[in-house]
Amino acid sequence: MAAAAVMPSSAAGLLTLLDDENDELKHYALVHLNKVVHEFWFQIASYIGSVEALYEDDEFKDRELAALIASKVFYHLGELDSALTYALGAGTHFNVDEQSEYVQTLIARCLDQYFELRVRQVEGKEAVDIDPRLVAVVERMLDRCCAHGQFEQAVGVALEGRRLDRLQALVAAAPDQPALLGYALRVCQRLVVNKDFRQQVLRLLIRLYEECEQPDYVVICQCLMFLDDAPEVAKILNKLLSSGREDDVLLAYQIAFDLVDNELQSFIIKVQEQLPKLPEPPAAEPPAAAAPAAAADGAADAADAMDTDAAAPAAAAADANGGPAPAAAAAVPEMAPEMVEKLSKLRDILSGKTPIGLNLEFLYHNNKADLQILKNIKGAVDARVSVAHSATILANALMHTGTSIDTFLRENLEWLSRATNWAKFSATAGLGVIHRGQLQQGKALMAPYLPRDGHTGSPYSEGGALYALGLITANHGAGTQPFLTESLRASGNPIIQHGACLGLGLAALGTNDEEVFEDLKNVLYTDDAVAGEAAGIAMGLLCCGSGSDKAQEMLAYAHDTQHEKIIRGLAMGLALISYGIEEAADTLVEQMAREQDPILRYGAMYVIGLAYRGTGNNAAVQKLLHYAVSDVADDVRRAAVLCLGFVLMGAPEQCPKIVALLAESFNPHVRYGAAMAVGLACAGTGLREAVSLLEAMLGDGTDFVRQGACIALALVLAQQPEAVVEPFRKRLTKSITDKHEEVMARMGSIMAAGILDAGGRNASVALRSGSGYFRRTSVVGLAVFTGYWYWYPLSYFLSLSLAPTAVIGLDSQLRAPKLELVCNARPSLFAYPPPVTTETSKEVAKVEKAVLSTTAKARERQKKKDAEKQKEEAAGKAAGMDVDEPAKPPAAAADATAAAAAAGDSSSGPKEGDGAAAAGGAAGDDKAADAAGKDKEKEKEPASFTVTAPCRVVPHQVKHMALPAGSRWVPVKRGAPLSGILVLRDLTPGEPVEYASSGTTGGPAAPGAAAAAGAGAAGQQQQQQEPEAAPPAPFEFAP
Amino acid sequence: MTVLKDTQQLLDKLKNAYKKNDLATGKTVLGQIKIKLIQLPAVPPNSDFSSPTAQQELLLARDVYEHAVLLALKSQSEAALESSFTQLKTFYADTRSVLPAAPQQWMFAGLNLLRLLVANRIAEFHTELELIPAEGMTVPHVASAVQLEQWLMEGAYNKVLAAGKSLPPECSFAVEQLSATVRDEIASCAEASYPSLKLADAQVLMMLASRKETEEYAKQHGWAIEGDVVHFNKAAAADATAEQHMRLINHALLYAKELERIV
Repeated sequence: MAAAAVMPSSAAGLLTLLDDENDELKHYALVHLNKVVHEFWFQIASYIGSVEALYEDDEFKDRELAALIASKVFYHLGELDSALTYALGAGTHFNVDEQSEYVQTLIARCLDQYFELRVRQVEGKEAVDIDPRLVAVVERMLDRCCAHGQFEQAVGVALEGRRLDRLQALVAAAPDQPALLGYALRVCQRLVVNKDFRQQVLRLLIRLYEECEQPDYVVICQCLMFLDDAPEVAKILNKLLSSGREDDVLLAYQIAFDLVDNELQSFIIKVQEQLPKLPEPPAAEPPAAAAPAAAADGAADAADAMDTDAAAPAAAAADANGGPAPAAAAAVPEMAPEMVEKLSKLRDILSGKTPIGLNLEFLYHNNKADLQILKNIKGAVDARVSVAHSATILANALMHTGTSIDTFLRENLEWLSRATNWAKFSATAGLGVIHRGQLQQGKALMAPYLPRDGHTGSPYSEGGALYALGLITANHGAGTQPFLTESLRASGNPIIQHGACLGLGLAALGTNDEEVFEDLKNVLYTDDAVAGEAAGIAMGLLCCGSGSDKAQEMLAYAHDTQHEKIIRGLAMGLALISYGIEEAADTLVEQMAREQDPILRYGAMYVIGLAYRGTGNNAAVQKLLHYAVSDVADDVRRAAVLCLGFVLMGAPEQCPKIVALLAESFNPHVRYGAAMAVGLACAGTGLREAVSLLEAMLGDGTDFVRQGACIALALVLAQQPEAVVEPFRKRLTKSITDKHEEVMARMGSIMAAGILDAGGRNASVALRSGSGYFRRTSVVGLAVFTGYWYWYPLSYFLSLSLAPTAVIGLDSQLRAPKLELVCNARPSLFAYPPPVTTETSKEVAKVEKAVLSTTAKARERQKKKDAEKQKEEAAGKAAGMDVDEPAKPPAAAADATAAAAAAGDSSSGPKEGDGAAAAGGAAGDDKAADAAGKDKEKEKEPASFTVTAPCRVVPHQVKHMALPAGSRWVPVKRGAPLSGILVLRDLTPGEPVEYASSGTTGGPAAPGAAAAAGAGAAGQQQQQQEPEAAPPAPFEFAP
Repeated sequence: MTVLKDTQQLLDKLKNAYKKNDLATGKTVLGQIKIKLIQLPAVPPNSDFSSPTAQQELLLARDVYEHAVLLALKSQSEAALESSFTQLKTFYADTRSVLPAAPQQWMFAGLNLLRLLVANRIAEFHTELELIPAEGMTVPHVASAVQLEQWLMEGAYNKVLAAGKSLPPECSFAVEQLSATVRDEIASCAEASYPSLKLADAQVLMMLASRKETEEYAKQHGWAIEGDVVHFNKAAAADATAEQHMRLINHALLYAKELERIV
């Protein structure tokens, strides 16, 4: 029959046979038509009526064949729905296993339709009849996937089809269960849009995980966290702790670290409550107790307040350290002491004390922020231009986020004092950013600025200090919450209330505390524009992600009030409340999007953005795009485009494509929104499309678009290889130093410079935790940050989304051993950028030489003045500086002079020296690497290098990281990427361990390590971190 | 081989019936032959030309298809004509490589052209015409069909009608239909040219035999007759232009709106 391959010239002859009366002829025609249908479908199409008639003729025996032909013709005509209907009618003639394009397309269609119907049936609770033939095809598909070992596809189909029964069966049948479960979990988290169903899947997955031989508790706990099932997590942790096996204990620690990493404060608190209670009182009480005690003391005796503050936490902390173990042991004789020890360690991790302490340690020791950059900026901007001035202070704060290093501020007190009114508020808040994470000492650090009884300072610095306190303790504010509440109640000044509201909102982020809510509501109802705005935002922060019905209350007030600021604050608050609740926010969105008031519509955009953050939900994207082009208010359009960034966070690579057109809009607000959307969605990715899109916008004609593009590009390029970032840095420098550049654009450039080097070049915007889920604090921080458009102080919220990019290994004692890691990449790729070379600094210096020489003198004078001032204060009010020196006995006033002078000079002296030495070392390395790269080609540059943890590992570097062969330490979490905090298993226990020493600050090494261990060594920690914990010299702004 | 023999016998029967003008028998026999034909391996679309009797089978099949056309012509059945012509054409095309050209191929092509022409399917007429090579154009059937089409296009309707009488014998089927086609053409021209026309003039113009026939014809086309004047319906045309204007306005508005929305 080989010759049968001769292709007929036309199907017309065969088609005429279809109208014949004889069935045999028809059959013959159909069989032959089926062979040629892909070639002559266009001819058959004109006779499709006859073919359909044959299918509908119940008497005709070849009706299924007719259906198949009709289906193929409709397929070619592009009418897939009809094609599918006929294909289903074709029964067995429709061969699922065929590899043709036709079959593939139709099966895809078939699955789509099935999914749609199932979704309506399961989620819409509609009575949908699903064609049993459709189901049969899907089942056949699933069976085939299993037979071919394509389990991942099958899992996808089962999930999309909402078929939990099949999912279970699939996992049972799979050869590699953990891998498949992991895949299912990933898919479920990323792609299952509906929340209810996702939770069902998670429940099922947890059950399946638990059925495995070696349950992966890390994953189970992650799942449980999403289900908000704290008791179960607590049970697992407890089980692991008490199992007696070393590995299980380590695993429990690791789980705790991972949970904390996701930053869901309310959940963590619940877990802590569920853990065995017995040793809790002494462990948890002291810090909380210490704070009010200190506050009370402060109230009692203003003159002694500082002293008491310094002493009280130390004493209390000492209590706390020594306290828990013996006290608990005494209280519960049946609980073994080692168990108590483990439990208290676990609690320290969960409370955030240990991880935050570790990160602080890391950020402090590895700070590589380049002061020269700041100096250059400072030299270039005119301090009288408040916007640029504030932006410089912000840049400094961001560069030193969490590092506790405030050298720059100390060195430029006079310059700093130019910040007045709200700029002063912001500058004070900046201190909070710099000292972020100093949970224990936060209040002591901010003490000089905090409101005190009988002392009337500037309300701006007092409000700013309260805000700063919130930033310091964001998400871990149990300790400071009472104090902030107190301050809020005590003050009637809207500016202080503003700061207190923001601080309280941050400290109580996501806790849903009723009492705090009432306090905030009281402030809101005073109907003061300044305080009300902050109250609105704070309410959102407090109830973040709860989707509670308080939203309606807030919306009602937004209608009542006349103040735009309050409405805006409430709008942002509503968005925060809706964080991550997805479909549940739809009614609120509808309600707000139909408002007359553009500010509420603006809020509606944020509600969509945050509710659907990172889901890439199509409906949400469409809605935002619709408002982006159709709303009459520029603010709403800008917000709509910007919020696309939030929705697309989960798939950053899509964002530049989607907003590309909007980025060329005629409307500058839309362009700004597009730039920010890309910046938010692609933060820290360095995505090429994003960079090229944003680079084009750097030359935009409108100043604020340039501003947005700078900020966005900085977000995208943070911690990218220096070769990529360098042109941008140059551009920023040019923009900052260019006197003719508009001030808005310069502000953007300055902020961008800060963002690029955030956290001493050791932190970047981290939207996801190590386990790949969104960190709520980060996203919320970014969202509020975008409010800087209206209210500059909100720009400090950006610090919330910064997370150190470190790898820190811990042993069973939660101390950090020196962990050797291999990075399989060229060293220069991930090296710190070289410090700004002296040449450029000279260049700048040349221009301003005269100024510099005078400032040097001025600085001398300033220093003297400072010392005198300190002396006065120390003697007169015993204020401020003593906090620096808690180790020293509060000696005679005569000593204080020397101490103050020493603090002024030496406390910054060694640090600077250290920094310079470190920077110099790094520079040397870099230069060597550079030289190797450029001059001697690549041969000289090794393909891999070794680092010693704790050290910086930027996100792109993680995939190159590996443990060296024969490493003594192995992460307890199986197959985890080498980043973040890793609990390690010691393969050769008993051998002496070399710990990463933190002796650079001069403190004894042992206490340092103990502090790192974080076993509640607050007192020691304070001692050890004494120099960096020092609050800045009490420079008072002269307004 | 029995199939071949049977077919041969059936074909003979068919030829007889055709000669005797026995259409009913012809039709039944044709049905039987078709079933036999699909059993022959060489006949397309089986197209297995390797068998020893391939030539014989194909020739036989060709004969059958040609007679099917002739029979259909006689029976004046539109559907049968359509399908028999299609089958014959496909057969010619599919066997071009293995069979020598059929002597009557161009005659059938000409008949097909004529059929399309009288049915006023001008587009298809020209498609078919393009497929006929120069040698085929000289065949009287084709030539006369082409000539007729030209006259029809020129509007030389009297020439068309006159020529109708001098067509080859196989073309007799077309004569009557041709006059109907011509009349329709004239009617549509008149409709576009005049708002109204005297009944008598219309009768002459459309070459109708009596006044009654004219009235009948007018009714078919929806023309109004008042007294002895025929009014061609212009209102519908006016409506159409109004509708067109509305559409234009709508488009313009839509564009304006979309332009507004461009970002």
